[in-house]
Amino acid sequence: MATMPAFFRRINEAGFPALSGAKPERDPFQLRALPQEDVFFHCKKIDNSRLVREADPQARGACWSAIGAAGVLLVVLTSVLVPNVASTLAGYKLQALRVEERQLLDERRTLEVVEAGLLSPQRLEQLAQGQNLVAPLPGQVVRLNAKGDSAVAMVK
Amino acid sequence: MVDRRLAWLAGIAVIWGAAIFFKIISLQVIHHEEYAKLATARQVVAVEIPAPRGTIFDRTGQPLAMSVPTESVSIDPLRAPDLAVASELLALVLHLDRTALYGKMKWAHDNHHGFLWVKRKIGYEEARNLRNLGLEWIHIQDESQRHYPNGTLAAHVLGSVDFEERGNAGIEQVLDGELRGQPGEARLLTDVKRRGIDSQSASEARPGTAITLTIDERLQFVAEREIAAAVEAHHAQSGSVVVMNPYTGEILALASYPTYDPNLPPQPGEDKASRLNHAISVPFEPGSVFKVITLSAALETTDLNPASMINCGRGEITLFGRTIHEAHHGYGTIPMAMVLAKSSNIGAIQIGLRVGQANMYRYVRKFGFGQRTGIPLPGESAGKVRKPERWSSASLPSMSMGQEISVTTLQLAQAAAVVANGGLLVQPRLVLKKGSQTVPAEPPVRVLKPETAITMRQMMEGVVMPGGTGTRARLEGYTSGGKTGSAQIFDPVARHYTHAYNGSFLGFAPLTNPAMVAVVTLNGTHGTAGFGGLAAAPVFHAVLTEALRMLDVPKDLPDQAPTGTLVASKEEAADLAIADIGRGQPNILEDGDDEEQPGQPAGPTVPNFRGMTMRAVLTEAAAKGLTVVPDGSGVARVQDPLPGSAMHQGERIRVGFAR
Repeated sequence: MATMPAFFRRINEAGFPALSGAKPERDPFQLRALPQEDVFFHCKKIDNSRLVREADPQARGACWSAIGAAGVLLVVLTSVLVPNVASTLAGYKLQALRVEERQLLDERRTLEVVEAGLLSPQRLEQLAQGQNLVAPLPGQVVRLNAKGDSAVAMVK
Repeated sequence: MVDRRLAWLAGIAVIWGAAIFFKIISLQVIHHEEYAKLATARQVVAVEIPAPRGTIFDRTGQPLAMSVPTESVSIDPLRAPDLAVASELLALVLHLDRTALYGKMKWAHDNHHGFLWVKRKIGYEEARNLRNLGLEWIHIQDESQRHYPNGTLAAHVLGSVDFEERGNAGIEQVLDGELRGQPGEARLLTDVKRRGIDSQSASEARPGTAITLTIDERLQFVAEREIAAAVEAHHAQSGSVVVMNPYTGEILALASYPTYDPNLPPQPGEDKASRLNHAISVPFEPGSVFKVITLSAALETTDLNPASMINCGRGEITLFGRTIHEAHHGYGTIPMAMVLAKSSNIGAIQIGLRVGQANMYRYVRKFGFGQRTGIPLPGESAGKVRKPERWSSASLPSMSMGQEISVTTLQLAQAAAVVANGGLLVQPRLVLKKGSQTVPAEPPVRVLKPETAITMRQMMEGVVMPGGTGTRARLEGYTSGGKTGSAQIFDPVARHYTHAYNGSFLGFAPLTNPAMVAVVTLNGTHGTAGFGGLAAAPVFHAVLTEALRMLDVPKDLPDQAPTGTLVASKEEAADLAIADIGRGQPNILEDGDDEEQPGQPAGPTVPNFRGMTMRAVLTEAAAKGLTVVPDGSGVARVQDPLPGSAMHQGERIRVGFAR
């Protein structure tokens, strides 16, 4: 399996022979090579004990700038994306409501037909006959609000 | 070395990025249209926005015809995996004959038809069961179905629709263009699960226009009930009733019998006569009702008046080789008013001969005969009125008594309205509103002078008064006028008149200010019981009695108060009391302590003077020792106290007379 270092090394060996003419000295920090692999690990100890951490005001500012920029970017992205997402969700809801509205209108029309059938004169007459109801005979109903002393009764 | 590696890495990254960039350019710019179309085809679905057919209402706003949504099933036979299994499945769910369905599917498949209706207008349960199958070769389409909630009520007026909801009769046919809606289309954006996200209207749906008719549902029902009963009772072939407002021409009821249920498609072997509107499509010889036209023309064109004496002879006259008889017996010489009341054929002929051929034809046409009324219904007949050039010498006498002419019931109603409204010919109206727009009425045309119309009304009252031929049409509480007609039906094959009759009655009420005109026709009655006065006049009486009550027309005559008069100040109280009558329960609103209970007079009772002349009233009052205070002239109309009520000592009876 060829790894990237092996790949570069082969290219160097094939394409730039002048650079690879002298045999390099062994690197003292190089660890033992892995068998059947062109992978080399190096180990080097670094003494950082004398290093002193020094405050860098510019780095701090850059950090805050980066945080601020990320925040702004987040707000911008959110402000761009949220309406779209909300619009899509609202679209789902709106469409569902439209379907429901149509179903309800259809149902109302069906109920109107049923109501009209129930109120049909033929059915009402059958019901009236079942209850022994009759139309008022002429003069059978006398209205008290009839004016004058006439004996003529208004029959509705 | 590291820099070199970075350079390579950067180069590859740049190449990679460039490849992506160019792909994006290719997708978004170069092939944008192509991919946009592909995306639209997958994501956007065209959805039809239904536009229901317009509802038809009666004049009170009750729906007479309306459409409700339903669904229909079609399949793609080319995509059905196994026709035998598919047909079995569909037959099971849709309750169809499997063999027949398989045959249709096989035929469609063999002929490479990718569409086949399986069942139209299916029920909710069937649609749900089909959807649960989830088969992609089964399609369920939205449709609508026409319903006539009152069944046969006004079937000939409303008409019917075919499977595609196209009107094929009645108002449905004539106003099909306005009733039919224009479906719209919306583009629905869907997600991968075909759920709608957004929709945009591509074209707006235009629902059908609602139509409001002049018909009154309640009155139509009464008219249909009465004409059906009369046709059955008199073994007639058919019958029709038209009730009309004489001033506006609004048709309040238009009934034809036999009838049909427009909810049902025509059945094999069904009687075609049931789908025929006899009121407008079947002309007939009117007979004596046509004497109204003859006498109207006489009043306008001659010096005759109701008191003019007409020699009716001994009941037989021979003119131009034809002998004409009276229906009963000879009347001798009688006033012209009596010619109408007695329906004298010879009298009408004598009057018609005075009118003359030219005037007769002119007035027949002026009254609207021989031409369509213009009512918005298909198949209207113009009737038949021959031009004078084609008249024989016997035509004028024949036409004077309603022969050699054919008219429709609606034309008779239109003619009766001329007399009722003071002499104006109004066009019958059937459509009151289209949507919210009131349909304007055609301006009336003057046919008679007002005084002629009033004179005719007074003479026509004599027909329903005692001694007239139409006494069974007389109304309680209302004055009325009319004319009976009993025309023998001519057999064109044998070329002679048969003993079958067209019995008819034409009339209006109240007399002084007619609120409505009604014409009743019974076709194919037999014997004297089928005469207009016996068969049609009772229908007029029944229909007008209920119609005048329903439409709150004020009474112009006092009632003969029956026993158990109810005193009500509210509708509810009246309704309650009515309910009690039928059960034989005591009237809870009746004052049981009243000594002057109708029907329980304590002393002498007041006689009934109504309909009597002043001379007769005074004679009878004198004979009984009663004091009468007359008021007005003519026939007794109103009296106080009412007939049958108890008289007190010294009380006088006020009697109002009017023509």
